[in-house]
Amino acid sequence: MSADDRASDLAVPPTPWRQLAETLRDHLRHPGLAIGTGLLALLLLVALFAPWIAPYPPLKTNMSNTLAPMSSAHWLGTDQFGRDVLSRILLGTQVSLQVAFAVVALSLTAGTLIGAIAGFAGGWIERITLVIIDILLAFPGFLFALALVAARGSSLESVIIAVAIAFTPRVAAVMRSVVLTIKPRPFIESSRAIGMSEWRVLWRHVIPNALPPVIVVATVSAATAILAEAGLSFLGLGVQPPTPTWGNIIADGNSLITTNPWISLSAGFCIAIAVIAFNLLGDGLRDTLDPQMKRQTGRGLL
Amino acid sequence: MLGYLGRCLAHLMVTVAGIVTVAFFLMRAIPGDPAQYMLGDYATQESLAALRAQLGLDRSLVEQYLLFVARAVQGDLGTSVATGQAALTEIIDSLPASLALAFSGLFVAVALGVPSGIAAAVRQGTWLDVAIMLVALGGISFPVFWLGLAAILLFSHKLGIFPALGSSSDAGWLTSLHHLALPALVLGFSVAAYIARLTRSAMLEVLNQDYVRVARAMGIPDRRVVYRLALRNALVPILAVIGVTFAWSLGNAILIEAVFSRPGVGSTMLKAILARDYQLVQAGVLALATGVVLTNTLLDILYGVIDPRLRAA
Repeated sequence: MSADDRASDLAVPPTPWRQLAETLRDHLRHPGLAIGTGLLALLLLVALFAPWIAPYPPLKTNMSNTLAPMSSAHWLGTDQFGRDVLSRILLGTQVSLQVAFAVVALSLTAGTLIGAIAGFAGGWIERITLVIIDILLAFPGFLFALALVAARGSSLESVIIAVAIAFTPRVAAVMRSVVLTIKPRPFIESSRAIGMSEWRVLWRHVIPNALPPVIVVATVSAATAILAEAGLSFLGLGVQPPTPTWGNIIADGNSLITTNPWISLSAGFCIAIAVIAFNLLGDGLRDTLDPQMKRQTGRGLL
Repeated sequence: MLGYLGRCLAHLMVTVAGIVTVAFFLMRAIPGDPAQYMLGDYATQESLAALRAQLGLDRSLVEQYLLFVARAVQGDLGTSVATGQAALTEIIDSLPASLALAFSGLFVAVALGVPSGIAAAVRQGTWLDVAIMLVALGGISFPVFWLGLAAILLFSHKLGIFPALGSSSDAGWLTSLHHLALPALVLGFSVAAYIARLTRSAMLEVLNQDYVRVARAMGIPDRRVVYRLALRNALVPILAVIGVTFAWSLGNAILIEAVFSRPGVGSTMLKAILARDYQLVQAGVLALATGVVLTNTLLDILYGVIDPRLRAA
């Protein structure tokens, strides 16, 4: 080992934020990342400007024009209350993205803290946390969210909390295993040697360096969160009508599948687009943020 | 091997105990009075008091918990407010239909997912790989209940091959199988997408290992390299994803059952949720989570059989 190698081994790696900026610049050439970012940006714009883009007020019923087929006036037709399906789908983007971002923010924060403390502290704290994580992971995520929403009552807030609680142990499990690989590295030891407190080491060095793989997991969990919200709303347990969500639009169109299939079908395509966006973003971030996790997947895909 | 088995079983016990605890606290997530919640606004004071006493709500939290655990150990998960039957009996009665769906779905998923994952890995970068991965991306991106609706539209209404209802009152097994086919195909396809993606990446990882390169250099036929050397080493991650997807399909069966109007644990729980029959919901969550843990334990034991290195860990 040369002196240079040792120096680079002891040096604190650049913060993930600078890494992120650099990799974003370098790797927007990554097709998955670029397409995922593009789709997500598009969805964000739709969600932000939905009330203005929508050709009709999404809640306005028109009993004289129910179940209209696709036409130039109503691109996707109208539903059984004469509401414009396209307008409802555009507004439904808001709920899905709200759920996705809120779930990621909550489960990422809680999961990162729990996982980092468990992995960094070791000993009985780690063992107990692991047992609890294991137990929570035994519950199928969707089922757990379902039971919590059933107990707390159906609302956007309930859905977000339920899905976030279902995801937190998953994030925490990944965080802990990454922290275990960072703990023995020399720059952690040297931070301690110069008298940094444990909390400061954890906060300044362990968590920032463990974040990339966790961000990947969180991005993919945004996709699952969108699917979970859609499933809950489809069952009538999520966001309540008349607020349009992609899930309850599919439920509305369920009984009309033979006569007006586009009501359900088009809402499903929107869900798929949002899920694909987050999945491509996750795959792309894995390739660019975290070379250790890089596999030969994703690239061959697109 | 015996020690490994013991560790697996001890882990199982701890996890099941934890599940019972979580199921207990799920009930505590009900804001306000659970008895009022279950019986509704028009309940009489007597019936409320009776249910509170039965649930032990008039005692301290610790006592309530111990009571719940003691009953759960004896297989008493409370009674369904709607039917008056034991909650566990209701769940067990609806279990066969769900298991039939879960296992036939898993069969379709493995039969579809593993070969296409292997094919995509072996032919990496060709049109076949791209096609398989695009279909798989669709499979993981469309919600499973939407796939069900689309399948009903295509196979029942347009082509008329399969019935739109996922079950029949007719007892004949051939008819039941005919009704089961479409839900099983839909569930299987959506799980197959996950399995194919993971099989592909697990196979690619193994195929890039030095010992595979050496084997190829030694002139061992490609077929033998793929199936004997690579697949066997990729088997543990593939089995792991099958375990995860089995849990996933148990959780999502509720959506499939709703789309195809099929009986099962999912539809029993959905009915219970809408009727605020919370003890039944609790029993369902408990039973399904225990099922997942049992599957995971079986898989853990299986990993030990496949890969002796894991026994030591």
